[in-house]
Amino acid sequence: MAFDAHGDTSDEALMVLYANGDRPAALALTQRVTPRVLAYAARLLGGDRAEAEDVAQETMLRLWRVAPLWRQGETKVTTWAYRVATNLCIDRQRSRGRRRQLALDDAPELADGAVGAEGQLQEAGRMAALEAALAELPDRQRQAVVLRHLEGMTNPEIAAIMEIGVEAVESLTARGKRALAAILAGRKDELGYEGDRDAG
Amino acid sequence: MQDDLDDLLATAARRPVVPTEALMNRVLADGLALQPAAAALKSAPRPGLFARLSGLFGGPPVLAGLGTAAVFGLALGYLSPTTLNYLTGASTDMAEFFPEADFLTTEG
Repeated sequence: MAFDAHGDTSDEALMVLYANGDRPAALALTQRVTPRVLAYAARLLGGDRAEAEDVAQETMLRLWRVAPLWRQGETKVTTWAYRVATNLCIDRQRSRGRRRQLALDDAPELADGAVGAEGQLQEAGRMAALEAALAELPDRQRQAVVLRHLEGMTNPEIAAIMEIGVEAVESLTARGKRALAAILAGRKDELGYEGDRDAG
Repeated sequence: MQDDLDDLLATAARRPVVPTEALMNRVLADGLALQPAAAALKSAPRPGLFARLSGLFGGPPVLAGLGTAAVFGLALGYLSPTTLNYLTGASTDMAEFFPEADFLTTEG
């Protein structure tokens, strides 16, 4: 994919440029927003890569359609995209009607890293366990934990995405983490932490 | 377990979910297909006859001044001297042009 010629341009300005027919703006928005929405959707959907890709493409489709009506200063593009992706993920989970346990090969594609094959396998297992545990959380807690701890967002940003107050975000995140810890406590051996601690 | 969880979350946050080239191409294709066309630069509409004529004389304000002057000129031309005297407060009956030249018109 080609180089982003709008490196210094804000996402909001890109939306205006896109609506005015600027083709490089379409490329820049694709490169900036799609990976973030895909990662978020993959985490909310328990690592289901195919569904996450569908959600990412659908979110971007809606972004293209809303661009001509975009009003700068009202909301951030990423906040809007995360909100749309959240709703799409909820719809998909409801229609799926179940939360399936994550198989090892469902883990998101690994980027090239320095860890060896064995370490990579163990890390993939841990990630799979984490995603399975996340999938057991209530929807709102899972969204809050993913946005806070995996997407690295601030509480006010999460509040804007989830359309709730900052205090509610703090409460959801705290409860979500406690529940996550409780779920993972029963899988310590599976996660390989006992071995790590003994070895260290 | 809390520390382990924090480690696990931190590790998960560092793992990028890399979009495939196919997904990026599909998204970009959607974006280009739905992109509004660049607004064409429209040439200014051709001015009408009246606009062109008024432009010839310097535009509507100048034309308005000319019109007013013309109307007053006509009015002054048609009005009788009595009415003009009434308007100006002066008498034209007493006006004597070249009073020292009367001797030129007398005979003898």
